[in-house]
Amino acid sequence: MRSEVTAAIAGAVLLVAGLPVFAHHSGAAEFDSTKKIDLTGVVTKVEWTNPHAHFYMDVKDASGNTVNWNLELASPNVLIRNGWKRTSVKPGDTVSVTGIRAKDAPNYGSASLITFPDGHKLNFTSAEEPAK
Amino acid sequence: MSQQGNINALVIASIVSAAALLAVVSLLAQQAPAPGQNDSKGKAASKTEAKTGNVGLYRNQPLAPTGPVVKLADGTVDLSGVWLGGGGSDADIANPRSLKAGDQVIMLPWAEEVVKNRQSKEDPEANCLPAGIPRGSPYPWRIVQTPTHYFILFEGNIHSFRQIFMNAKHPEDPDPTWYGHSVGHWEGNTLVVDTVGFNDKFWFDYKGHPHTEKLHTIERYTRTDLGHMAIEVTIDDPGTYTKPFTTIGRATLMPGQELMEYICQENNQDLPLLTGPARGPGGR
Repeated sequence: MRSEVTAAIAGAVLLVAGLPVFAHHSGAAEFDSTKKIDLTGVVTKVEWTNPHAHFYMDVKDASGNTVNWNLELASPNVLIRNGWKRTSVKPGDTVSVTGIRAKDAPNYGSASLITFPDGHKLNFTSAEEPAK
Repeated sequence: MSQQGNINALVIASIVSAAALLAVVSLLAQQAPAPGQNDSKGKAASKTEAKTGNVGLYRNQPLAPTGPVVKLADGTVDLSGVWLGGGGSDADIANPRSLKAGDQVIMLPWAEEVVKNRQSKEDPEANCLPAGIPRGSPYPWRIVQTPTHYFILFEGNIHSFRQIFMNAKHPEDPDPTWYGHSVGHWEGNTLVVDTVGFNDKFWFDYKGHPHTEKLHTIERYTRTDLGHMAIEVTIDDPGTYTKPFTTIGRATLMPGQELMEYICQENNQDLPLLTGPARGPGGR
């Protein structure tokens, strides 16, 4: 029972009004939860850094031009404790990403869910399946 | 806030913090656990069934044990270990759910005006500056006890530390600092930490509740069982609030966890992207 309550609280903590929880700033001040992104592309760079990990991805826009997106994750500390590894997303990986867009920067978003071609998924704070 | 853009100060603070933390960790490494003492490696966990659950943001964590607390050779309660939670509401310190029953946070007019005008990007926490006392954090922290000093090591909160001088007195005119000057003593099984000498820079929460250098905090740490600690923090700042109020929180032991590095200044790309008035994580 207690673990169920704890899980419910954790779930509530993880997502506030559609926004991921950030450790050191208001998510609502940076991202617009109504502006969704749905991207597929090739990872070009990973920054395994605090206060947030980032990965960058080349995505072709509607005109066929390649745009490099900057996508934010939780901190490495949160990710590692939740099953991520620093190599869970690597340059050269083709991934699909859903998330939300920054209010005040183009091609910048918060990655809610990352899906790989083999179907395994990672999210903003956690490896839903064991990292490969 | 003038300090927020001062990169030199941040770098110096980082170096000083890192050096001091290294010294504290070296001290910690020299402390052998007393017989029966709970350490973060999970001796305590052996008293519970091997179950896991979510603790804060962290999934599949060993659940905190619930056995009786352990005492050190000097008769005081062993508070050591890696803990999560226990601070005030970092979204809004005035949230009644994190206040002692009946307490209210009533600001003086100047403070109300400050809160109305603060912007999210001015939050010291967003600038990788200290979160102060008692602002909560999703990152764990550790208490280290020595006969003369207790240390609180923060993983988040810019990877800094507090020092508590046991059975000591405050200086007559302490220089204002982010964490102030803390003295501690035991009242039964409760550690009482009295702090004065704060600067006026940190915010109590995302909403920007302020304080002055008159701030005086009294923290009460009571390990209620092996895996849990009740934490009450009385905030008395007659320069900002009409009367004192007390936050209540409960920290949970994280058996098997160690603190990890968290250098917030390394890649804080968020700051220039923060827009609008100071507000909680969900926008309110």
